[in-house]
Amino acid sequence: MDSLDKQLSNRIAVKIGAMAKIWVDGVEYEVDEKKNLIDALKEKGVEIPHFCYHPKLSVVGMCRICLIEIEGVPKFQAACNTPIKDGMKINAFGEKIVKAREGVMEFLLINHPLDCPVCDKAGECRLQDYSFKLGHETTRYKEEKRNIPQEKIGTNLYINHNRCILCYRCVRFDREIVGVNDLEMLSRGNDTIIAYVPPETEKEKSPYLNHNYQGALADICPVGALLNESTLFRSRVWWYESKESHCHGCATLCRVTANLKNNAIYRYMPPQHPERDGYFICDYGRFSTHDFSQNRLYAYRRSGTKIRSQEALAQLAELLAQAKRIAVLGGGSESCTDVDALAELVGKLRDAGKTVQWDFRSNAQAFYSGNAQWDFLLSKDLRPNAAYLRQKNATDFADFTALEKELGQAELILVVGELSPPYAYQTGKIYAHVKGLKIPTSVEQTELYQALDTHNAWPKTVLLTTHADSAADKALLAIPIQSFVEKSGRFCDKEGNFKETTVLLRPVQGLRSSGEIWQSIPALEPVGVA
Amino acid sequence: MATIQVNKKYAFRWYEKFYFMSITAGLWVTLKHFIKSAFLRRMVTVQYPEQKKPLSSRFRGLHRLKRNEKGQERCTACYCCQWVCPADAIHIVAAEVPPERQYLHPEDKYAKVFQVDLLRCIYCGLCEEACPKGAIYLDGGLPLPADSRDALILNKEQMLEPTGGPIIGERL
Repeated sequence: MDSLDKQLSNRIAVKIGAMAKIWVDGVEYEVDEKKNLIDALKEKGVEIPHFCYHPKLSVVGMCRICLIEIEGVPKFQAACNTPIKDGMKINAFGEKIVKAREGVMEFLLINHPLDCPVCDKAGECRLQDYSFKLGHETTRYKEEKRNIPQEKIGTNLYINHNRCILCYRCVRFDREIVGVNDLEMLSRGNDTIIAYVPPETEKEKSPYLNHNYQGALADICPVGALLNESTLFRSRVWWYESKESHCHGCATLCRVTANLKNNAIYRYMPPQHPERDGYFICDYGRFSTHDFSQNRLYAYRRSGTKIRSQEALAQLAELLAQAKRIAVLGGGSESCTDVDALAELVGKLRDAGKTVQWDFRSNAQAFYSGNAQWDFLLSKDLRPNAAYLRQKNATDFADFTALEKELGQAELILVVGELSPPYAYQTGKIYAHVKGLKIPTSVEQTELYQALDTHNAWPKTVLLTTHADSAADKALLAIPIQSFVEKSGRFCDKEGNFKETTVLLRPVQGLRSSGEIWQSIPALEPVGVA
Repeated sequence: MATIQVNKKYAFRWYEKFYFMSITAGLWVTLKHFIKSAFLRRMVTVQYPEQKKPLSSRFRGLHRLKRNEKGQERCTACYCCQWVCPADAIHIVAAEVPPERQYLHPEDKYAKVFQVDLLRCIYCGLCEEACPKGAIYLDGGLPLPADSRDALILNKEQMLEPTGGPIIGERL
């Protein structure tokens, strides 16, 4: 028994790693031996500058800006590539090392065009920061800089070879995180460039890089070499107001930093504490935010004409009272509070002896079986609160054909947020490339819209939506609700953790969330008891 | 009611009590111009806008966008002037340079829209200082009156010089 305890404690000790005492510029630190030196020192508040090192990628030691001097070692060592040893004495910010870093900075800037006024990365660029912090004001390089024109290498990705410092981060990211071998370094010496090379395993060779993490590629680029086409020249980064929230895209509910300006979301960026909340976010969520502030529905509508909210809600109550067979579609984009209110309503209707079928899925792709992930982040449940609806048993249809059949037979169809962008469709150019996932570009292309058309079900459809599209005109009643980013609420991710979102955009005054709509339906109590 | 006793430190002399010297000093410029125009027949005023007086080389007037030695636009829409403008007078929309106007721009980014609202502008010259490319200078002379507010919003065509300009960092 005693030895088992010892074994266990040994195993745990190995996992955590023994603590080692190191000295940095004469200050003693106790750090984990198994960690990377840059990471371990960052935890203690000592920032060693680095370009190519990334905590989630393998170590290559290519940029040489993290040079440190170790006592007893004759040459400078790259901090990212140095294992921690007990009793190590490091000179990290001494006179010699500062001079060495200045020299490295000069080398890195030899071919860099210094076109910060044009570059979108300016303001969040590591090279810019370190150039101010560690570099020299003037350059001694008088020869001509290399000039290779900018290229489009991804469906949403540009590469500016002149700005590239060849840190190899993008190549490593594609190989190690995404799992595609499509970026490569070509040529040698001064002519080295990063290029897209279609992987040999691919049957149809695409002319452009087309995976779901092109936004992340632009993020991890420490300079402005890789930039996304969708955000090119739209704004300078220091104008954004940043708020942390969760991504609306799928059931993974990644934590993101939203960049806001003029009550619109310009882009999602990785969270401010990536070591806790994850370093990467996918393109599907990141590039589908522009719909939240465009073409919104603010008025209640009956078959396309504007009516007052009291009239609409009274009619909804009447419809609920009369109908014997009701199909409720959606709810996956609503917060837990809203879903609870909807579940309460469904329960009341069922208690009243009505047949109510509730499913949060509304297209064929949502009724998947087997693998629940598109890739390592993107879930096949493309609604933020899908897991919570599974807990609520909102899965009454076996597949999409069963759902379609029900559309013909039901007397009343409630659609909750299932025909609004960015969930059902996304306007404008689609920047996310997920193999096998089709994203409609207008409401007419969505499967639910077409099914409602073929079954002639619009006159019995009550639509809770955020956008003023043709579905809102066609439905018997269209009720405006707040979108995901206009309210704060709890959401349940695919692993069952509850996460709190924050209000990113100011909603129009008086706009209600779907839960408030359900609660404000007048006189629901005596629903068709007879 | 109490009265305030003003302690006069300086007592007027007898000839100062006539105020003649003070009035002459105060009206000296007027008198000078009166003599010039009435007896010496020399005009003091200028028939503006037909005639114009030369402005100081540091005078801050209308905005002008400069071109480089090759005749290309210097402005790359970096938004520095818009950011620094204390009166929010500058509005820029940046865009990628289309291939057909590549010869007009040294970089990949250009200002698709560049407007200066003269009604908001306070002619402080901060945009001139902020510009990293030497593209905007307030050397266009005096602003002219206009019939409408819209006419006082300068657009790019009105501000751009037809051909080359002075070297970066130099004013006319």
